[in-house]
Amino acid sequence: MRRYAGIAVALLFFAFSISIFIQLIPYDSYEGSAYHYKNPINGSVANESVPSHYIKETRNETGAVNAVTAIVVEYRGFDTLGEVTVLFTAATGVSFLLYQLHKKMQRREANLITKEGSKIVLPFALLTGAYIFIHGHLTPGGGFPGGSVIASGFLLMLLAYPKFFVNEKRLSYIESISGSIFVIIGLLGLLLATSFLQNFIPVGKPGYLFSAGIIPLIYIAIGFKVGSELSSIVQKLKEVEE
Amino acid sequence: MVIHPVLLIAIPLITAFIIPIFKKYGAAIAGGAIAFNMGYAIGIFFHVYSNGKIYETIAGFNPPIGIFLAIDSLSALLALIINLFAFINFVAIGKEANYKFSMLYLLAIAGSTGIVITGDIFNMFVFFEITAVASYALIAGKKDKKALEGAIKYMVLGSIASSFILIGIALIYSQLKTLNIYDIAARIASMDAKIKWASFAMLLTGIGVEAEIFPLNGWVPSAYQGASEGVASLLSFAPSKAAIYAIARLMLVIFPFHATYEIALWVGVITLLIGELAAFMQEDVKRMLAYSSIGQMGMILIAFSLASQDLKYALIASLFLIVSHAASKSSLFLLSKSEKMHGMASKYTGIVSVLSLIGMPPLAGFWGKWYLMLAAMDEKLWLVIILIFFAGIVETAYFARYLHRSIGNDGELSLRYKAAMAAMASFAILFGLLPLVYKIASLPLWGG
Amino acid sequence: MNFAALTLPCYITVAALLSIGLYGVISKSNLMKIFISLSIMETGVNLLLITIGYIPGGTAPIENANFAKYVDPLPQALVLTAIVIGLSVTALAIAVLISYYQKNGTLEYKEGMKW
Repeated sequence: MRRYAGIAVALLFFAFSISIFIQLIPYDSYEGSAYHYKNPINGSVANESVPSHYIKETRNETGAVNAVTAIVVEYRGFDTLGEVTVLFTAATGVSFLLYQLHKKMQRREANLITKEGSKIVLPFALLTGAYIFIHGHLTPGGGFPGGSVIASGFLLMLLAYPKFFVNEKRLSYIESISGSIFVIIGLLGLLLATSFLQNFIPVGKPGYLFSAGIIPLIYIAIGFKVGSELSSIVQKLKEVEE
Repeated sequence: MVIHPVLLIAIPLITAFIIPIFKKYGAAIAGGAIAFNMGYAIGIFFHVYSNGKIYETIAGFNPPIGIFLAIDSLSALLALIINLFAFINFVAIGKEANYKFSMLYLLAIAGSTGIVITGDIFNMFVFFEITAVASYALIAGKKDKKALEGAIKYMVLGSIASSFILIGIALIYSQLKTLNIYDIAARIASMDAKIKWASFAMLLTGIGVEAEIFPLNGWVPSAYQGASEGVASLLSFAPSKAAIYAIARLMLVIFPFHATYEIALWVGVITLLIGELAAFMQEDVKRMLAYSSIGQMGMILIAFSLASQDLKYALIASLFLIVSHAASKSSLFLLSKSEKMHGMASKYTGIVSVLSLIGMPPLAGFWGKWYLMLAAMDEKLWLVIILIFFAGIVETAYFARYLHRSIGNDGELSLRYKAAMAAMASFAILFGLLPLVYKIASLPLWGG
Repeated sequence: MNFAALTLPCYITVAALLSIGLYGVISKSNLMKIFISLSIMETGVNLLLITIGYIPGGTAPIENANFAKYVDPLPQALVLTAIVIGLSVTALAIAVLISYYQKNGTLEYKEGMKW
């Protein structure tokens, strides 16, 4: 019975969405006057649209050549702080719910290829992850993919070796300290410049590793935080295995 | 003096991040952060009360290139209520909380405050998710069967809701290429009609799940029943109020059209009726209070929908209703910890809260219903007035039955618990007497 | 190559993913399957966000001397955030499901839990 209701709702929703999406024609550009934004503080209408501002001004205003990174860390850094907080909340929630369970051992041993392969892959995973988040302002990537790669290296080791556990306390400290570094950089922006999360370091030459102001610093903090957080979530789930 | 509202969010966040390092003092540190938040929110409220709306740009870039926080009188009042009651509630339950609970509590408060003070729609979505995830973990924290069931229902509906909100944001962005609420409001007229209404439907459905309107409130009874009393109290004043504020911004600022008003009005009426009638049929106290919350949310939605037509009394009514419901329902949830009302504090809390919800002058709830009726009379909505009156009668009936069954001598609560309950209930009296709400409603809002 | 025609299959995929996800949430009774369907819905929404920012003939928004047009960078930043948020909810859901399994011994939800 519920199956038919489900099929009916799904088909209705499909028809509804297609009828809406057909109207979203692809554009030739986002420069048209229909997209010019209006500043709500002083009511002035600009002569460019928001995306074209990002494309044109990223190099000058932030020193990064990767526009997506500049948006994630500089222009909309507050959203990134919120996202890091959501991940932190989920990790806290997981440890809040599962704290009473015993560390039972996995029944099946992994086979030889997994065991030896994990040992080889782990250092490369850590290195690749670190490379991705350190070069976030120059190449695609940044803190989140970098942290995920690091966590997947640890995940391989957790799956291959039943007795392998990363030190909980250390992971928790890394999480807390890197999260606090993010907020402290923001508060420093408030003290040294005029607003929260404003860039207070000289921008430098775009295209070089030491450039783009606070972007590499924040991305390194995010990389450590996401890596340790995902590793601790996965490890908590492993502890429950019977 | 320059005021930085961003500290209302930054301080709880950094406190929540560093609590795991100081495990044993977790509750004390959290209490300090919430106290700071309460003081700062009071300060911001009085600043906005005397000086008008304020804003703060984040990261130094002007909106809509960057994000900005826009606080007007409506936001300031809601931020005040959330942080004030957060402190009082934490006084009641902080003693027996471990450090993880305190962290989740701080994050839920920071998330709710973020929803009401931001001026950017995607930022509002991110704060929604912070609040929602913290609520899921807090509800499930009690770990018995009912708590887990409530948490699962909430999670399923909440995830669908967040997908719908994102679809709504995507549709708006595709046509207007901006994410700033007031920029969208200024240019909404140039949007294609079909996409405009589709995005309104998506956003209303998504935010409506958290705001407990019909038919998206299936999670409410199980979640409130399963949660522990302090958490149920938190849910009454933080996420639901922030969500109904978001719907109000949606209706008043972004989609100020006549059809919006009609849809919201009738959704509100249906929610009110279903909530109150279902509450009448409940045996369990917490379920009854949960359904009553649904009914009150319906009434607040009716008030905001009338306010979108620029009626003089409707905005005043909605503010009174929000304050009355937050104060009364939260204290009633705290009260439900004991089976019967023992002693002066419990009786005082119970009676004051019930009277405010029913609508006895001079409590805040009375003014809320009074101005709501006046606003509805202005629009000649006689059917709505009759239905609100009928709902009020049902409410009186089940609350009278509740009082009759509960007054007795049983149950012993700690001193700080009783003090917190009584303090919360007193706000219903306070706001009813002070002329604060009238001035707030007459101040100019962002977006006109 | 007609780039403009690329977006239509993307939108059809988005609608299909959303509908499949909704079907799964409504009709399945195993909680794990319900949460997997929610993940499918979230993937559909992320795809929608990216497709909206597409400019025919544009390249990734990193400075590149060979291309004149870049796609819209803002939806990609939004999707970064949305993916992480979806992941967090799924992780918490799995933790709740584990506790539920230990209390009830099964991942099916019982009839008493109807909406």
